[in-house]
Amino acid sequence: MTHARTSPRPSRARVRLFRLNGTDHAALVADNVLLLDYLREAQGLTGTKRGCDGGECGACTVLIDGSPRLACLTRAQECEGHHVETIEALAEAGRMSRLQRAFHERLGTQCGYCTPGMVMAAEALLRRDKAPDEAAIRAALGGNICRCTGYVKIIEAVQEAARDAP
Amino acid sequence: MDGLPEFRVLTPRSVAAAVAAGARPGSRFVAGGTDLMANLRHGIGEPGTLIDLRDIPELHGIAAGPLGLSLGAAVRLAELAEHPAVAGPYPALAAAALAVGGPAHREAGTIGGNLCLDTRCLFYNRSAWWREANGYCMKHRGDICHVAPTGKRCHAAFSGDLAAPLLAHGAEVEIAGPHGLRRQPLGDLYAEDGAAHLLLAPGEFLLRVLVPPDPWPAAYAKARARGAIDFPLAGVAVALRLEGTGVTGLRVALTGTNSRPFLLAGTDALLGAPVDAGWRERLGKLVQKQVSPMRTTLLAAQYRRRVAAALAERLAGHLADAATP
Amino acid sequence: MSTIRNVRDVVGVPTPLIDGIEKVKGQAQYTADLPAQGALVGRILRSPHAHARILRIDTAAARALPGVRAVVTGADCATTYGVLPIAMNEYPLARDVVRYRGEPVAAVAAIDAATAARALRLIRLEVEHLPAYFTADAARAPDAVALHDNKPGNIERAVHHRFGNVEEGFARADLVREQVYRCGEVAHAQMELNAALVDYDPARDHLTIWSTTQVPYYVHLMLARCLDMDMSRIRVIKPFVGGGFGARVEVLNFEIIAALLARAAGGKVALRLSREETFLTHRGRPETETRLKLGMTRAGKLTACACEVVQRGGAYAGYGVVTILYAGALLQGLYDIPAIAYDGYRVYANLPPCGAMRGHGSVDVRFAFEALLDRMAAEAGLDPFAVRRANLLAAPTQTQNGLRIESYGLDECLDWVERASGWRDRRGKLGTGRGLGMACSHYVSGAAKPIHWTGEPHAVVQLRLDFDGGITLLTGAADIGQGSSTLMAQAAAEILGVQLDRIRVVAADSMLTPKDNGSYSSRVTFMVGNATIDAARELRARLVAAAAEQLGAPAETIDCRHETFQAAGSDSPGLGFGEVARAALAREGGAITVKGSFTCPIEFQGGKHKGGAVGATMGFSYAAQVVEVAVDIDTGMVAVEKVWVAQDCGFAINPLAVEGQIQGAVWMGMGQAMGEETRYENGLAVHASLLDYRVPTILDSPPIVLHIVESLDPNGPFGAKEASEGALAGFLPALTNAIADAIGLRVDDLPVTPDRLLEALAKRRRERRLAASLAEVA
Repeated sequence: MTHARTSPRPSRARVRLFRLNGTDHAALVADNVLLLDYLREAQGLTGTKRGCDGGECGACTVLIDGSPRLACLTRAQECEGHHVETIEALAEAGRMSRLQRAFHERLGTQCGYCTPGMVMAAEALLRRDKAPDEAAIRAALGGNICRCTGYVKIIEAVQEAARDAP
Repeated sequence: MDGLPEFRVLTPRSVAAAVAAGARPGSRFVAGGTDLMANLRHGIGEPGTLIDLRDIPELHGIAAGPLGLSLGAAVRLAELAEHPAVAGPYPALAAAALAVGGPAHREAGTIGGNLCLDTRCLFYNRSAWWREANGYCMKHRGDICHVAPTGKRCHAAFSGDLAAPLLAHGAEVEIAGPHGLRRQPLGDLYAEDGAAHLLLAPGEFLLRVLVPPDPWPAAYAKARARGAIDFPLAGVAVALRLEGTGVTGLRVALTGTNSRPFLLAGTDALLGAPVDAGWRERLGKLVQKQVSPMRTTLLAAQYRRRVAAALAERLAGHLADAATP
Repeated sequence: MSTIRNVRDVVGVPTPLIDGIEKVKGQAQYTADLPAQGALVGRILRSPHAHARILRIDTAAARALPGVRAVVTGADCATTYGVLPIAMNEYPLARDVVRYRGEPVAAVAAIDAATAARALRLIRLEVEHLPAYFTADAARAPDAVALHDNKPGNIERAVHHRFGNVEEGFARADLVREQVYRCGEVAHAQMELNAALVDYDPARDHLTIWSTTQVPYYVHLMLARCLDMDMSRIRVIKPFVGGGFGARVEVLNFEIIAALLARAAGGKVALRLSREETFLTHRGRPETETRLKLGMTRAGKLTACACEVVQRGGAYAGYGVVTILYAGALLQGLYDIPAIAYDGYRVYANLPPCGAMRGHGSVDVRFAFEALLDRMAAEAGLDPFAVRRANLLAAPTQTQNGLRIESYGLDECLDWVERASGWRDRRGKLGTGRGLGMACSHYVSGAAKPIHWTGEPHAVVQLRLDFDGGITLLTGAADIGQGSSTLMAQAAAEILGVQLDRIRVVAADSMLTPKDNGSYSSRVTFMVGNATIDAARELRARLVAAAAEQLGAPAETIDCRHETFQAAGSDSPGLGFGEVARAALAREGGAITVKGSFTCPIEFQGGKHKGGAVGATMGFSYAAQVVEVAVDIDTGMVAVEKVWVAQDCGFAINPLAVEGQIQGAVWMGMGQAMGEETRYENGLAVHASLLDYRVPTILDSPPIVLHIVESLDPNGPFGAKEASEGALAGFLPALTNAIADAIGLRVDDLPVTPDRLLEALAKRRRERRLAASLAEVA
């Protein structure tokens, strides 16, 4: 892996095709734009939060092809051909999803800042494991820092959402 | 708040195209980017071109056969940890993969990326403002190492987890580059120099990792302050073969303690004897002697030395217990 | 309180947050999420020097850069700011002297982030270096240069308080022990990064700020002061705030800087700080050394306490005076201690300024106290619970430093955690490396004496009823995730007898809502809760008067529950809320606006001694907890297996939120006890990321089982007291007491990181070896 320094070349902006929250999407993005900035600044999808200076807190967790990913370490350009889902996509016709409802009713959210990332990480878990045990919930949320709850009610919320699953 | 510097991204679809792209000055290979993107956001490095290797078919796939495991360098850590050909026969490797970062890091991070992870240091993984205020360092833009100011080299620590179990299993790596493919023991990829720890020529990149078949029972343990996210303060892999009550094979590999991951030397002296308290103590002493953690983390260097030894002793004990009927 | 009914419909019921749906749907807009089309990007240039005289700041090249709209430096604001009127010694941008690495010295507003970053690199700062001090000891050295001219010896405040006869107390003790305890500096690490959006209208000379604050009113005051603007020209709005924990209980430099930039640029500026900058803005809990001496009788009764506290406060005053006073004042109010001597020293150092953090002032001293009590209990052969029970207070009472205690549920807390944890059966029988520890703690429900004395009430709430039948609750109180808006809606709905969703809360917008001092010192439930009840009673009276006319019954016979007004003993179906509201609007001549307020009576405002107002409150919360640990002596790792905690919060208006607050407080105490710590290399922060500042992950966090004790404070709203701070401090000593139970090692320095624990174990082995060899020789 080379380490030379050269004078920077302006990043090219190119049209990238990907799915965003269920809709096919053509985005004109430069190569060096972070997915986090693209979502927040270009798309106005501010549910995805910035909580650190790169990969340390999980607040920007989104799903790419159903897997949890950190939008602050992902370039928008990488998403070409993939499906990006953000917190805004979970509600159906404006109604909270089962998981969102559980976070709300169980107080899995206090200040709410980590919540979108936390919910998306939990969503990824519940899509591949309908009945996760507590250890699986803890493992799946290990990269998401919450400063309010002590996580107790977050675990309860995910358990409740799993319990109520059809 | 620092965004990314200006660069363009190339996505070659063949090894040859990647090698050709890698010949450009100022280019840099990337896969999951979980380490590189954070560094670029901190103003460390300004590559004009990023060459994303993940569209190259040869870098993908996990294959198990009579010659062992073949692991594509772009295989994601999450994929590695879950693969039946890995999780069953190579539990140390799966454990190391699961010990990296958090779930989202493991969905993006790759085998190649983890093996080629940049070294880390208290004085290096900081913002551009911070490093300038501190007068930079030997690893980037400066000329002294703040960890050992009188020393001649950079002491940043290698912090990838996978290298330890792979070294313990005697893995080899296949490297692509301008002069074709070459294959070498994984250990030969690394040098004990935090500023130049990867022995890759310009334009070279990892293609595959090859792990020999019929592995000795092995385990990996990682010392870290928290149960997730953290890099290893020390990572230890032990592969141990027992016949009767005597140890007939032992390989111990360490990461997180030095500028390179390495296989513990002198383990032959421990062969032939049973794993008892005295044996474990000798192993611990051997570890303590060969690791050289420096003040590159907030937790004390002396701790990393001690805990590396303690984990090696513990893992060997567990493996011996498991092997003894 | 006469009108509190025994039957409760809304309060006392677990209630999801009324603004929770927005949060889980990703629709809640925090400051950085607000639409900022056309806003300039602000960036701050921070000092690389720890202590230096500024000779010159050359901004010419930055100003000349195309795309730069404003550059400001210390020359643009010659007015200091601060939270305490007696200690405002900070400039938003350094003038003359920089005092810590990271202090703002200049700022730019540009058309985009890249231009702003380039402009910063063009600013030249020339300085003459001064000696810098990074420890309290170095700053207090006889030859140290003063950071602030008016504070020789770098002592921001020395406190010497004496209550009772301390010498006599120690003399009659059967056991006297003295020990030094150290706690590292910690930070709030609230998840939301600091940010401000400021819109300045030059044509009207109006300024609007949206900011990440817990105290919009204090921001308002300081913007007016530093920008020399009439307060009526400023509007402060608090959008959703992603946690505070005390980080945002005073105006912060970036808020004033954003305003200075917006005014200089004549437009809108968005200033969003990085995680590193958010850490550098700091205001965390100071590094603290506590030298504590306690005297105890054979039966475990405390006879005297002598305590010396040194806090390394950082470069500026902030809340420092209050912090060092709290540290002494809150030695009292938990137990009955006949004599207390307190000496506190708040010290300046060349580091980011400390401030208030959850459990403000009390935490590190409580750690020392409960740890020493545990040590002495063991030495005296007493059970730790028995020692606490030997020293309980009996409410109502008043402490020697003038703190009034009207309700006290600590005994019940102790009983519950002792039983729930299986203390009597399990302690000492958990096996190798496992142990149980316990401790108690308490905290104020709001400071009874406000920082800025204006003669106004402590809290004011307005309610408005109009043609649509909706009741709008207007409050200046800042909901920062703790659920204060929900609590107020519950309180109003309960008194009015209406459904919760008939109340809509408009909060923290200075143009619309009444002044509130903000969300700090756990004041909101008690003070704003009481003001809400007051306002709701007033509105209820108006509605009841209208209903009485309609029903032809005397007003005093009329009650409203479940949105129905009915006369006592009447068989009629009564009147619906809508009907009564319409009648009341007609009767009152249209839209009804009522006001409620709350004022802490003077007798609650503390002792007469200097600094006696700090610590004074209307009611203390009380907590007891038991912590179970497993200690790995090979790796130094401590695993907290489980926590049992009981807290007397008076009355849980929203039990769901109370649970969340108690769990969060215990867990934050765990973070401080086990791993969180700010660290500096020659004054440069090396902790300023969420990798290096190790907030516990979900994998490190134990189950927390809790019990709410309701002592029904006579003055609290529905009997409520604070719920979010009291349990924090107890975790620290409960942990070290549990470690002592597990491996016989007393940890006196926090955080107990694995490296420190292994080092302590190694030291103990060395000492034991030495003792053994000495014994052999003998």
